[in-house]
Order: sequence, then C-alpha cells, then structure tokens
Amino acid sequence: MSAVPQDTLMAYADGQLPADEIEAVEAFLAANPDAAAEVALWRRQTDAIATLFAPVAAEPVPARLRPRRLAAEIASHRNRSLGWAAAAVVLVGLGLGVGWFARPLFEPAPGASTVLIADAVNAHNVFIAENRHAVEVPASDGEHLTTWLSNRLATPLDAPDLSAEGFTLVGGRLLPGTHDIGGRAAQLMYESPASERVTVYVTAALPEGQPAYQFANYDGAEAFYWANARITCTVVGTLPPERMKALSQAVYRQLTEGDVTAARPYRG
Amino acid sequence: MSDFLDQIEACVPALRRYARALTRNADLADDLVQDCLERAISRRGLFRPTGPVRAWLFTILLNLYRNGLRSSRRRGETVAFDSIAEPSTPAPQPGHIALAELARAIETLPLDQKEALLLIALEGLSYGEAAEIVGVPLGTLMSRLGRARAALRTMTGTSAEPHLRTVK
Repeated sequence: MSAVPQDTLMAYADGQLPADEIEAVEAFLAANPDAAAEVALWRRQTDAIATLFAPVAAEPVPARLRPRRLAAEIASHRNRSLGWAAAAVVLVGLGLGVGWFARPLFEPAPGASTVLIADAVNAHNVFIAENRHAVEVPASDGEHLTTWLSNRLATPLDAPDLSAEGFTLVGGRLLPGTHDIGGRAAQLMYESPASERVTVYVTAALPEGQPAYQFANYDGAEAFYWANARITCTVVGTLPPERMKALSQAVYRQLTEGDVTAARPYRG
Repeated sequence: MSDFLDQIEACVPALRRYARALTRNADLADDLVQDCLERAISRRGLFRPTGPVRAWLFTILLNLYRNGLRSSRRRGETVAFDSIAEPSTPAPQPGHIALAELARAIETLPLDQKEALLLIALEGLSYGEAAEIVGVPLGTLMSRLGRARAALRTMTGTSAEPHLRTVK
C-alpha cells in the first residue's frame, strides 16, 4: 500500500477529507499503527483544545457585545458628527454660551456618555407621556424629593429652579441606571404652562470623573450632556434649540454652583 | 440591516471563544470582540452580503489582535496570563493530555501556528476558510497546522504512540 501524505491524514483526523477518500485512508491506518497513533493523538489534541475553550461560547454574552446595541450607539454617534460638523463653534465662558448647534470640541468620553444619553432620552420618552404617574415624588413634597434623591445617588442634588425659563418642577423619580456608574439615576421633570415637558437626568460621577460635554440629537429629542467630578447630567427635551439652550444653561449653572471644577468646567 | 445584525449576533459566542483562546484573558478577549463588532457594523457598506459573515468577522478579529500585539510589543507590555480553564478531568491518564500543560504549550506556539491551529481545532473551520482568514495559501496553512501539532506533541510530552503498543 502506498503511503498517505500527512496532509491527507490530518484532513482525515479533522473530518475534512472528501467522503470518497475515507475508505482508502482507513485501510492504510489499519495497516500502519504508527500513523494510526498519530491520527489518534491529533484527535486527542483537538478534543483537549475543545475542553479548554469551548465552554466560553456557552457563557452569557455581555451586553456590550450585543450587535443591536452597538449599532444604535454607532448610529447616534454618526448623526451627531454629521449634524454638528457644519456648524463647529467655539465654546467660551462656561462652555454653554454658543454651543447648542456646535459639535463637541472634544471627543466625548467614549461609551459612557452615549449610554447615559440613550438612557436619559429613553426615560424622557417613557415618562413625559404619563399624566397621573409622570413622577414618583411630586414637587409639592420638594424637600423630601431632594433629600431622597441625594441620598440614593450619594451626592447632593438640588432641583434647579427653571421658573425664569417658564418651567416649573413637576417632581422626580429614581430610576435604574447603568451598572458601573452607581446603578441609579434621578429624573427630574419640568413642565411649562403649555404642557411642554423637559427632563433632567442625573447620575453620580463616572469613575474617571473627567469633565465632558456633548450635544446630541437622539431618537427625536435634543439632549445636552455634561459630566464633572461630582455628577453627570443630561437635559432632554423636544423644544426648539434656542429654548433648550437656555434651559440647559440654567440647569448647568445651578447644578455646578460651588463646585470646585465650575471655574474650569471643561478641557480638551 | 437587522438580518445582518442577526447574522453577526449568531457569531458572537464563537468570536469570544476564539479571542479567549488567543489572548487567555477574558477582558482582553471581550475588548477585542467589541472592537471587531464595532468595525464590522460601521463598515457594513463595504461588506458583500454574499460572502460568509463568520469568516469576515474572524478576519477582522484576527487583524485587530495582530495589530494589538504589535502595539503592545512596542509599548513593552505583557499580557496577563490567567483564566486557564480548570481541567474537567482531574488527573491525566495514559494517553490523555494534561489540559493545563496543553494550554501552556499553545501559549508558546508562534502566532502563525497558534491562530491556524485554533481556527481548525477549536472553531472547526474548513482548511480553505481558515487559509483565507489567516491570509495564506492552503499549503502554507496545512504546514503551519502540522508544525503546531508536532510542537504540541513535543511540549506536552505525549508520544505519537500510545503506551500500549499494538502487538504485531
């Protein structure tokens, strides 16, 4: 019997040999115990490699590896970049003076801000549609509301006063947030006499605590996001950009009052 | 689009498995898979939907891994050696391969042999697909595979012949 090339034996061991060649190889192996032992060893190697690593494929897939979620994040990033690219404007002063139409001057904190904005807009869309259950704790119980949310977020939180912009506090609620940033978020809801609503979504600071800013148009809503060493905050609404800008400025001003970083709220 | 995402989703467990076997580090492996998925999703315009999604994803993953190795080599970093799977069989028996020993042996293989071996032995890809992913002709892939297996045999001290020889 003629010798069978090693590549053919390997293909046999790997189950990749064409069906019409199998018989000849098996006859050869029956007559050549050394070759048969080699084939058996390769198969044991393959089995052992499977034993080592195959269980990984059965582990639950982490959320960050879900294609749909990644696609949504990429899409929102794209919209943002395209939408603001034409109107890049320098941010001055507190960084809010001119910015509503401007694309961010600096890269957003990768990932975290995108997730927070998506969460904030989602929470906005869910609760602004509610009438009787729009908030968990009404503004009439204001002191309790701020104490409670401050305790839950483990950072002092005062509901900003937006009456100068024509908005009054409806109330607030506690929401499940993103796991690695405290896992909790507070949503404050404001309403105008015309029943327009905006929400302010606050979480404790991100682990790195780096200042960051981002404007986004996400899922049909305008969102302004910022982060500092103490909190992250996303103002969400569907008002015209000018009014959203004014509201965001007011929220920003009041929530950063007295913060150490307020004097230099951002850097590149 | 959603069909495309479904196809990608179906490949994620295999990508994680391959990445884990390459890097031997669960976090690095998932980072690698995430980078791979982000690239795939953001470049779907360049993708020809007639081709197999799986092979395409493995190609991206492998390229990212190679790039990462290059840059970490430049930075002089070492990769944590952890997450060795516990052997499911307690003691090596004659003819069996000690799993921890095998894991270490795979670790020391040259990258070109390791990536080829894992595509075939772990992922069960065809030789043709694997050659395309690795980016070499079929013959080169086969010789890398042969060398990888011979090296593992030497390093794990498993003789080609079992302890019980066939009595002639």
